[in-house]
Amino acid sequence: MHEDSLWTNIFRLKSGEKEDILTVLKRIPLFQDLTRKELRQLERILHQRTYKKDEVIFSEGEPGVGMYIIESGQVRITLGNEQKVLAVLSKGDFFGEMALLLEAPRTASAIASKPSRLYGFFQPDLFSILETYPRTGNKILLRLSQMIAERLRHSNLENRELRNKLNSLLKKED
Amino acid sequence: MDVTVNRFLKIVLSIMFLLAIGWVVVELSSILIIFIIGALLAYILDPITSFLEYKGLSRTSATAVIFLCLALLLFIFIYFIVPPIIDQIKVIQYNLGSGKSAETINRIEQFIRNNLPMLKDVNLDLQNKLNTAVNHFSNSIFSLVGSVISIITTLVIIPFVVFFLLKDGRALIKSMVSIIPNRYFEITLNLIYKTDKQIGGYLRGQFFDALIIGFLSVVALWVLNVPYFLLIGAFAGLANMVPYIGPLTGAVIAILVVTITNGAVNQMLMVAGAFALIQLLDNVLVQPIVVARSVQMHPLLVIFAVIVGGQFFGVIGMFLAVPAAAILKVFVLEIYYLYKKVNFA
Repeated sequence: MHEDSLWTNIFRLKSGEKEDILTVLKRIPLFQDLTRKELRQLERILHQRTYKKDEVIFSEGEPGVGMYIIESGQVRITLGNEQKVLAVLSKGDFFGEMALLLEAPRTASAIASKPSRLYGFFQPDLFSILETYPRTGNKILLRLSQMIAERLRHSNLENRELRNKLNSLLKKED
Repeated sequence: MDVTVNRFLKIVLSIMFLLAIGWVVVELSSILIIFIIGALLAYILDPITSFLEYKGLSRTSATAVIFLCLALLLFIFIYFIVPPIIDQIKVIQYNLGSGKSAETINRIEQFIRNNLPMLKDVNLDLQNKLNTAVNHFSNSIFSLVGSVISIITTLVIIPFVVFFLLKDGRALIKSMVSIIPNRYFEITLNLIYKTDKQIGGYLRGQFFDALIIGFLSVVALWVLNVPYFLLIGAFAGLANMVPYIGPLTGAVIAILVVTITNGAVNQMLMVAGAFALIQLLDNVLVQPIVVARSVQMHPLLVIFAVIVGGQFFGVIGMFLAVPAAAILKVFVLEIYYLYKKVNFA
C-alpha cells in the first residue's frame, strides 16, 4: 500500500531507527545496566562502520584497540591461515572486548560474512567516558570485569576437567 | 609495460597532488595560522570542558561557561592591561629618541672602549643599532598581528573557531575518522589516541607554564621598579614557550630596557638575578609539576625546529615549532612501532 506522506507519521521511521540502536545496545550484556540516558551518552562516542561481504574487520596478530557490536549482518571469527571458523556471530553479538583492557595483538581474525553494520567501542572511548561520565563508565567496567571473571571461571573448570582426563589417560598407560 | 606506465602516472599524479596541497597551504598560511591557534586553544581548554561536563553540564553549556569566563578575562585584559602596554611601547620609542638614553649608551660605549682595547678604533655606533633594533622589534609586534589579517578579524575568528571546536571538536574528529577506510580505521584511531596522550600534557603544560612565568616576571619586574614591567613580563612569559632561546630573550630585553632607561648597574644585576631565579623556580618546581609527561626531544632537534618554524612562519612559527615537531615525532615513532609489531609479531 502506498502511504500518503501528508497523513502518515514521516518522523516515525527516523525515531524508530534511533530506538533500534538503543535497543541493540541495551541487549549487549556489557551495556545492559545502563539507563536510556546513559545509552545515549554511549551512542555518541561509538563509531559506526559498514563492511562489505568478506571484508576483513581485523586480522590476527594486529594490535587491537577495542570491541565491535553487530548492529546488522553476520561476522565470522577465524583462526590461522587456513581460516578455521571459530564462531559465526550475528545481530546483537559482540567480539574483541578483551582489547578494551589489554593492548595485545588480536588472537583471531574477524571477517564480515554478509554486508554488515557494526559499532566500534574502543579503549580511548572507554577512558573518555570514565572521565566525563564516571557513573556510566563504572557500570560498563563492572560488567566487563564480571564477564571476564565468568570466562576465567569457565576456562578454569575446563582446564581442571582436561587435566583430570589427562591424568586418567596417563594412569591407563601406566 | 602498461603496469609500469600506470604506476609512473600514479606517482606523478600523487606528487602533483601533494604539491598542489603544499601550494594551497603556503598561500593560505596566514589564515591557516589563525585556525591552528584556535585549534590549539580549544585543545588546551578541552579538559576544562570535560570537567564541567563531569560536573553535570551539557557540552554546550560547559563551552558557554568557559567562554563567559574567557570573555571576562579578555575584557579585563583589553580594558586594564592593553592601554598601559601600548603606553609603555610609546614611551620606549620616545625615550630612545631623547637625550637621556643616548647619554647612557655613550657611557656604555666608553666603558667597552676602555675595557676592550681591540675595539678602540672601531665605530661601535650602539645608539643607532639599538634604535633600529627596538624600532624593528616594536614594529614587528604590531605587524605580526596586523599582517596576519586585521586585528579585528583575528579577534573575531579565533574565539569563533575555539567555541565551535570546543563544542563540536569530538564529533568533528569522529566524523573525520568515519571517512577513513576500514583497513586503516583502527590504526588511525590508535595513532590519534597515542598522539593526544603525549602531546596533550605537553601543550597544556607549556601553556600554563607560560602563564606562571609571565605572571612571576611581571611581579618581579614590578617589585624591582623596572619600567614597562607589564610588557617585558608578558613577553618573557610568551617567549618561555620557545625553548632555550625564549627565556634568554626575555632576560636580555629586560636588561636592555634597564640599560636604556637609566643604566643603573645594580638594577641590571637584580633583573638578571630575578630572571635567573624565575628560571630556577621554573626548572625545579613549575616544569616537573605542570609540564607532565613532556615529549622527550633532543635539544638540537628543538633548536632546529624553532629555527625552521621561524624561517617559514616568523615569530608564530617559532612558538608552534616545538609542538609541531613533537606531534611529528610521536606520529613517526608510533607508525614505526606499529609496523614493527605487525611485521614481527
